[in-house]
Amino acid sequence: MNKPDFNPDDAKLRALLRESRVAPQLPPRFQEAVWRRIEHAGAGRSVETFSWLDALVARVLRPRLAFAVAAALVLAGALLGVRDGAQLARQDAQAHYLAAVAPDSLR
Amino acid sequence: MRRALFILLGVLAVGAAVFAGSFYLSRQVCVMQRATPADDLDWLRQEFHLNNAEMARIRQLHEGYMPKCAEMCARIAAKKLEVERGLTGATNVSPVAERGLVELAELRARCQGQMLQHFVEVSQAMPPDQGRRYFAEMQRLTLGFHEQIEQSMSDHAGHEHQH
Repeated sequence: MNKPDFNPDDAKLRALLRESRVAPQLPPRFQEAVWRRIEHAGAGRSVETFSWLDALVARVLRPRLAFAVAAALVLAGALLGVRDGAQLARQDAQAHYLAAVAPDSLR
Repeated sequence: MRRALFILLGVLAVGAAVFAGSFYLSRQVCVMQRATPADDLDWLRQEFHLNNAEMARIRQLHEGYMPKCAEMCARIAAKKLEVERGLTGATNVSPVAERGLVELAELRARCQGQMLQHFVEVSQAMPPDQGRRYFAEMQRLTLGFHEQIEQSMSDHAGHEHQH
């Protein structure tokens, strides 16, 4: 049985191969569509990067949460202020008593 | 993005202002209500949780002690003035000035003893635990100051000796 001759240097064969290569037709406005997709992908990335900040701001500005946080801050500030004020007043009262019973010349 | 960042910073600033405002306001109200007591003994009542009977007894002791304290303070002030006059323009410590200094120290020591005696009496008018706490606190406040000075001076002298 004879083997077929597949010599790549055969000019006839090369011509046949070139003719058999199919060049598919590009869809209409292919280039424009490619550019649009590139732009869309770029914009999507920047939105993704900062979306958490917008989400956080949106969450913080919700009235219920904003009022709750403000109330908590007022309460915490008032409690700490009362504690600090009581401490100052205590020191003042102590100094008042000390000034009465122990003159400066003895301290 | 920049807008969101500004809003967030603004929210944080408002939050800090709300907290600071309520802190300072409540502190000021508290200080104004409690500070500068008209009664010298307010601190004792607050700090040592004394009842009316204990306060009445302590007030009696306090009122008995005050004239003695004032008299002793006047004697100390007079002696101090005398010593200062004796030392004004002097180039050395004369025997008279030295005697004056000794007398001044003696007066101060007597006054201090009288003061400590008063603290003991006041502490005995309180419940035992509070009395002990009061006496320790008064010692710390009146004698502790001298200890600090003496300690700092002996430390200083020690450093000088090392050189």
